[in-house]
Amino acid sequence: MSAVEILLGIDLGSTTTKAIALDHAGRVLGRGITNTRSNYNVASRIVRDEALVQSRFELVRHAIAADPELSRVERSFIGALVRNFRKQQHLEQLERLESALDHCADALRYAPCREAVKEKLHQIDEAIRSRVPGHFSELAVRKSDFFRDLAAADYMWAAERFSDAKSVSFDVLCGLFDAAILEVENAATDGAFERHSGPALEQTLATAPAEIQKRAPKLRAAVESVRTREFRVLGMVGTGYGRQRLPFPKEQVRSEILCHGLGAHAMFAGTRTVLDIGGQDTKAIQIDSSGIVTSFQMNDRCAAGCGRYLGYIADEMNLGLHELGSLAQESTCSVKINSTCTVFAGAELRDRLSLGQKRSDILAGLHRAIMLRAMSILARSGGISDEFTFTGGVARNPAAVSALKELVKQNYGDRTLNISPESIYTGALGAALFAQRASEGRTVA
Amino acid sequence: MKNGGSLLAAGVDVGSSAVKFAVVQIADDGSEKILALHNERIRRRELRKVIREGYDLALQSAGVRESEIAYAASTGEGELVDFRRGHFYGMTTHARGAVFLLPGTTAVIDLGALHARAMRVDERSRVLAYRMTSQCASGSGQFLENVARYLGIMLEDVGPLSCEAKNPEAVSSICAVLAETDVINMVSRGVSRNDILKGIHLSMAGRYIKLLRSIAAEGDVAITGGLAADIGLCRALDEKIAEEKLPMRVRTDQNSIFAGAIGAAFWGGYRHQVLARRSSEAVA
Repeated sequence: MSAVEILLGIDLGSTTTKAIALDHAGRVLGRGITNTRSNYNVASRIVRDEALVQSRFELVRHAIAADPELSRVERSFIGALVRNFRKQQHLEQLERLESALDHCADALRYAPCREAVKEKLHQIDEAIRSRVPGHFSELAVRKSDFFRDLAAADYMWAAERFSDAKSVSFDVLCGLFDAAILEVENAATDGAFERHSGPALEQTLATAPAEIQKRAPKLRAAVESVRTREFRVLGMVGTGYGRQRLPFPKEQVRSEILCHGLGAHAMFAGTRTVLDIGGQDTKAIQIDSSGIVTSFQMNDRCAAGCGRYLGYIADEMNLGLHELGSLAQESTCSVKINSTCTVFAGAELRDRLSLGQKRSDILAGLHRAIMLRAMSILARSGGISDEFTFTGGVARNPAAVSALKELVKQNYGDRTLNISPESIYTGALGAALFAQRASEGRTVA
Repeated sequence: MKNGGSLLAAGVDVGSSAVKFAVVQIADDGSEKILALHNERIRRRELRKVIREGYDLALQSAGVRESEIAYAASTGEGELVDFRRGHFYGMTTHARGAVFLLPGTTAVIDLGALHARAMRVDERSRVLAYRMTSQCASGSGQFLENVARYLGIMLEDVGPLSCEAKNPEAVSSICAVLAETDVINMVSRGVSRNDILKGIHLSMAGRYIKLLRSIAAEGDVAITGGLAADIGLCRALDEKIAEEKLPMRVRTDQNSIFAGAIGAAFWGGYRHQVLARRSSEAVA
C-alpha cells in the first residue's frame, strides 16, 4: 500500500505542545497534545508521534467505515480500542515511573532509610496500579489526559495514605515523585502504535459483545493494515512560544500571531477579531477576510490574565485544569478577588478556602478577573469586530467563556462568538496550513 | 502553670508554605530557653490539621503536656490556630526572635514565601522602621519553591547547589509565574541547574538589598523566615553587599526560620506574666 502523505503543524506552547496532521487535501487526520517540558525536542517528538497515532486510528476508522458489514460496530469498537490502547500506554509509563522512583531512592540522602523508603514506594506502586483500570473504563471521567497529572494525583493520594512522619514523611515521598516524573517525561516513547495496538486489539475483542466478536477477523485485518502503513511528511511548520527552539529549520517557523490568525480563519471564515488566551500570553488579533493579520496586542510579562493563571490556581487546588471551569459554573455568588498577582491570588484562594468560603464562588471570581484583563487588551488592539473567535486553551473553559460573553455584551453589544471545541489546536492548524502552502508552492516550482 | 519555677509558652507561625512551632521556657530569673522547634511544610494539606499535628509533635519533643503551656500565641496567618490565646503581628515576632537568636542585631529581613519585610530594630527588639515588598510575588520564596519543584530538587538542596554555580544566568525578575518559563527555557538551552539557581538568588538578593537600603539598615542584619535556611541566597546577599560596598553584614542562625515562632512564644510568655501580675495586683 502506498504511503500516506501528510502535513504537520506544531505549536510549542508554554503549557502544552500541540500538533496537527493534515492529509494532502488539507483535512485534519490526527491531533496530538502533551504538556510541555524542559526538553522541547522531546515535547515536539511526543506530539508528533501522538498526532500520528491518532492519524492511524483515523485510518482504522476509514477502513471500517468503508466496509458496510463493519460500519455498524465502528463507534463502539473504535471507542473500546482507543481506551485499551491508552491503558496499555499508561501502564507502560507507570512501569517507567516505578523504575525511575526506585532509581531516585538510590540517592545518597536516603541511604539511612533506604529499606523503609523502598518499602513505601512498593506499597504506593501497588495502590496506583489498582486504580488504573478505573481510569480507562467506559464511563470514566478523567481529571486530565496527561500521564503526569493522572500519575501525580494517584501518587499523592497513595503517598498521603502510606507516609508516616516518623519513618518516611509525605515530604520525602513528594520529593521523590518530583524527581522521578522528570526522568519519565523527558524520555520519548515512539512506536506506541506498533507496540500497543496489538495487545489493545486482543483485549478489546476478548471483552467485546458478540456482534463485534463475530467480525473479529475483518477488524483484525483493518487494524493490521494500518499498523504497517507508512507516513510521508510533505511539510512541517512550527510555531508557538518555544518556536525559536523547535528542532527544525528557520524557514519552517512562523509566528504565533500569524498562525492563530490563519487557524481561526480556517475554522470560521467570517472571523475578524481573534482573542487567544494561551499559557503565558494573551493576544488580541485583528485579521482581514483572508486570515491575514492587520493589527494585534499582547499582554505584558505578567501571568495574571493568561492561562497560566488558571493553571496555577488548578495546581493550588489539586485539580485538573479542565475541572476548574465546570466547578466555577456552580457558583451562585461570585467573589471579588483582591490580588492581581497570580501567586498572591493563589494565597488569597487558600485563605478564603480555609475561612470557609465556597470553592465555586472563589473560582468564579478568578475567572472574571482573567477576562477583565483580556478585555483591556482587546480594546487596545482595536476592539471587537464581528465575527469574534476565541481560541487557545482557555477557550475550552466554560466559566471563562461565560465571563467573556457577559463582558462583550456589556461593552460591545451583540457579537457572534465562535469557539471551536478544537480551539486549543488553532495555532497548530495555522502552522499546518502554512506547511501546506509551502509544499504546494514547491510542487508548482 | 509553672514548671519548676518557670513559665512555658508556645508560638505558632503560620506561613503560606510552612507552619513553624516553638516551645520555650522563661525562668523566674528572666533567663530564656528554647525547648523545642518544629517545622511542618503544608504542601497543600488541610491547614487546620497540619497546625494541630505539628503542635502535638512540638510539644512531644519538648516533653511537655499541652495543659502545661501558660500561653500559646500565633503569628502570621494565625486565624486557624484554634488553641491560641493571643496573636502577635509578624513584624514584632520576627524582630523578637531575631534579637534572641542573634544578639547585636540592628536590622531584620524576614524572607517569607510571599513577602519580604525589612525592619530596623533596637536592642529590645522594638521595630523602628520597616518596608515591605509590593503586591507582586516576583522573586519571592514561593517562586523559588516552584522552581525547585520544577527542577526536581529538594528545597534543602537549592542553597548548596547554588553555591557551586560557575556562570550564574541572569533571570528576568518580572513575574514569578512566567519567570518559571524562563527557567524552562534555560534548561532547554542547557544552562546548568546550579547556574540557574544562582541567577535566581542574585536577582532576589538585589530586591532585598533595595528594601534594606530604603530603611537605611546598617550593621548586623539578621535574616529570618523560610529563606533564611537557604545558604545560596545568604551568599548571594553577601556578594551584593560587597559589590555595593554597603555598611552592613547579613547573619543567620541555624534556627532563623523559627524566628517568628520563637518571638511569638516569648511575647506570649511576657504577656502572660503581665496579665498575671495585673490580676494579682487587682486581688491585693
